[in-house]
Amino acid sequence: MTNETNQIETAVSPADAVVETQPGPDEVAPSNRLEEEGEIAADYLEELLDIADLDGDIDIDVDHGRAAVEIVTESEDARSLNRLIGADGEVLDALQELTRLAVQAKTGERSRLMLDVAGHRQARKVELTAIAQEAIDRARAEGADVSLPAMNPFERKVIHDTVASASLVSDSEGVEPKRHVVVRAPAQA
Amino acid sequence: MLADALEHLVRGIVDHPDDVEVTSRTLRRGDLLEVRVNPSDLGRVIGRSGRTARALRTVIGALSASGAVRVDVVDVDRR
Repeated sequence: MTNETNQIETAVSPADAVVETQPGPDEVAPSNRLEEEGEIAADYLEELLDIADLDGDIDIDVDHGRAAVEIVTESEDARSLNRLIGADGEVLDALQELTRLAVQAKTGERSRLMLDVAGHRQARKVELTAIAQEAIDRARAEGADVSLPAMNPFERKVIHDTVASASLVSDSEGVEPKRHVVVRAPAQA
Repeated sequence: MLADALEHLVRGIVDHPDDVEVTSRTLRRGDLLEVRVNPSDLGRVIGRSGRTARALRTVIGALSASGAVRVDVVDVDRR
């Protein structure tokens, strides 16, 4: 059903995107562009929070060559933002998708911006790193491939990164929404 | 509120924000939001394999306090 391009695993060269001619300096430094992405995203999300009467502030950052935007709240009722995360983060993913499109509509370039809500992705990342480590240990101990449950692109990326830093190899197999990571057994010595 | 939220979300991702129109209707089975955009923006709002329309539905569904909301993208050309 879905044949999405995996924007996390497949880096999209900005050169492929249509760039609209803009007045001003010929070349904008990448970090400036990422900051601009963050600001456009913040405007888009702030107005949404306003309309939906949700309590939240927007943090903008640049992380590993991407704009990183997070909706945070100081309110006691952190649960009010939970609806922006949804089951398995599906609302968060949808909102990230729309935010990237909103950035693209303004800049004319594809955005790889990462959106988080109330630390959800960060917390999930810690969990996933532990899952990856367990799979790495098993692949080494048993000398066999280890298949993990289906995960979204963000989650698979965390697993791949953890596996790579342990000098093992992993692949994604299957089709969304059942796409999952397989951690390969280490080559026999 | 939902119609305003949808209008804002759509206006942000199209080339012709002033042509975006959202109408809200109450059906027996719940609310229906109809989105009309400039024909040249239709592809943007639907997205590849309907991915963008699906994202809009997911977010609007999450913001709805009163159950299911249907979101339809209306192709103005075909009316």
